[in-house]
Amino acid sequence: MQPILQAKDLRFCYDSGAPALDGVSLDVYAGERIAVLGPNGAGKSTFFLCLNGVLAPESGQILLDGKPVDRKARKKLCERVGIVFQNADDQIIASTVAAEVSFGPMNLRLPRDEVARRVDHALDYMELQPFRARPPHDLSGGEKKRVSIADILAMQSEILLFDEPAASLDPTGEERLERVLARLSDEGRTLLISTHDMDFAFRWATRAVVFCAGRVLADGTPQAVLADADVLRRAHLRRPLLMEVWDTLRARDLVPPDAACPRSPDALARLLDEK
Amino acid sequence: MAHRHAHGPRSIDRLAYQSGMRRWNPVFKTVLAVGTLILCLAADRPAVSAAVILVLAALQKGKGRLPLRDYFGLLLVPLAFLLLGGAAVACDIVFAPAGDWNLRLPWFYVCADADSVRFAAALVLKALGAVSAMYLLALTTTACELVDVLRRAHLPPLLCELMYLIYRFVFVLLDMYGRMRQAAGARLGWRDFRTSCRSFGGTAGNLLVLSLRRSRIYADAMAARGYDGELRFLAEEKPVRGAQVLWMLLFWAALLALAAV
Repeated sequence: MQPILQAKDLRFCYDSGAPALDGVSLDVYAGERIAVLGPNGAGKSTFFLCLNGVLAPESGQILLDGKPVDRKARKKLCERVGIVFQNADDQIIASTVAAEVSFGPMNLRLPRDEVARRVDHALDYMELQPFRARPPHDLSGGEKKRVSIADILAMQSEILLFDEPAASLDPTGEERLERVLARLSDEGRTLLISTHDMDFAFRWATRAVVFCAGRVLADGTPQAVLADADVLRRAHLRRPLLMEVWDTLRARDLVPPDAACPRSPDALARLLDEK
Repeated sequence: MAHRHAHGPRSIDRLAYQSGMRRWNPVFKTVLAVGTLILCLAADRPAVSAAVILVLAALQKGKGRLPLRDYFGLLLVPLAFLLLGGAAVACDIVFAPAGDWNLRLPWFYVCADADSVRFAAALVLKALGAVSAMYLLALTTTACELVDVLRRAHLPPLLCELMYLIYRFVFVLLDMYGRMRQAAGARLGWRDFRTSCRSFGGTAGNLLVLSLRRSRIYADAMAARGYDGELRFLAEEKPVRGAQVLWMLLFWAALLALAAV
């Protein structure tokens, strides 16, 4: 199968000198849900900015549908790969919610009607219609986050990058975010999410990629990656709570010895019922 | 909704967003405000000035649904300056009694005569009428729409975009500063004058560094959404209604008639 997006040996340095990306390669396939894990400063955000074309890597290549993207085709990357920034206030520039959401589609040079249609759709999607004429500085943190997601939805990119989207959200906000992510995934978008929430990564992702000091340390299913004690130690990650519970149950012979660790509390309950 | 008499950019901005006249076409509002301003200044008649003040106050209350208390609260700010300035115009300081009224002070007299008082009153009234006309714009039109009007008036795009971004950044920086202020307060940073000076210097310096870093992230975020040197937003269509234009012309005709009397 042809990967939709490929990074080949990306290298990037900030002015301070230390390499932020030190040879990162990754193949992303259409429809994947990838959790990007790793400590702060591991290069996750820099990697996202390179994938979106904002930062030009010093060396290495980015391929879309197998075709290399050169510097001139940077706009193409913006169109196909959307990025939701960690801090919504860093992203919001317009003075009303509707104008803000229109910024991306207007830059795509779409006709007016199409822009209006997309803005409406994105506002519906994020349940923001009542806020459309409000200024962003009047909104709460969670509402701003939704605006920043609607911003990217209006561009209708196939690949969406979320930089720590759950940071600073309350539990209701997190639930709403997960519903949106599930819906986006059902609609066939490819999602990459950087997160420090191991429990979320474990239950949501189909694939986990661990970054450490500008390199990819591990890449595989969340079950495999998060079970690797060496990876966890080197990337300063924590095991998901469910895995800990699973080990406790297994040590006491309460679960079938050959079963794999379930990914959600519901799945665990079903498994225990069966037994 | 509770109303407090808060002034400053936040409250004027909020009033503009809440105004019932926000749905009016911004170009129409600009024409109405500037036209009325010119008429008020050119006519130079107290009756015209008074009519402008009263009609615009009624408009803000009736169509803008702005409580009169708030409106006059905001008018009080320039009024204080106008009254002081008016007093200086009306009165003279002399060493021998003169004019119609005299106030005797230890070494000199403050005197005024009927004509100068009338002149000063007309001046204050005219200035207040002009302020009302500008408030018609400021309290009903959001800053971004004003920038849009200026853009259509062919102000250089660079200036328009700067105004737009500065407007947004005012709130981002106010927010940042508010948080730093609180954080300093939580560590007794404002306990006395010396400490306050140090805290203020610290937060101001920090604000500079943070806003520089912020601006870099902002540039990245804009590039990520395909920004290529021109800020473009979808402007809401706000059609001008014929009745609005008719009322405006009627109002101006009435002002002209008053001026001619």
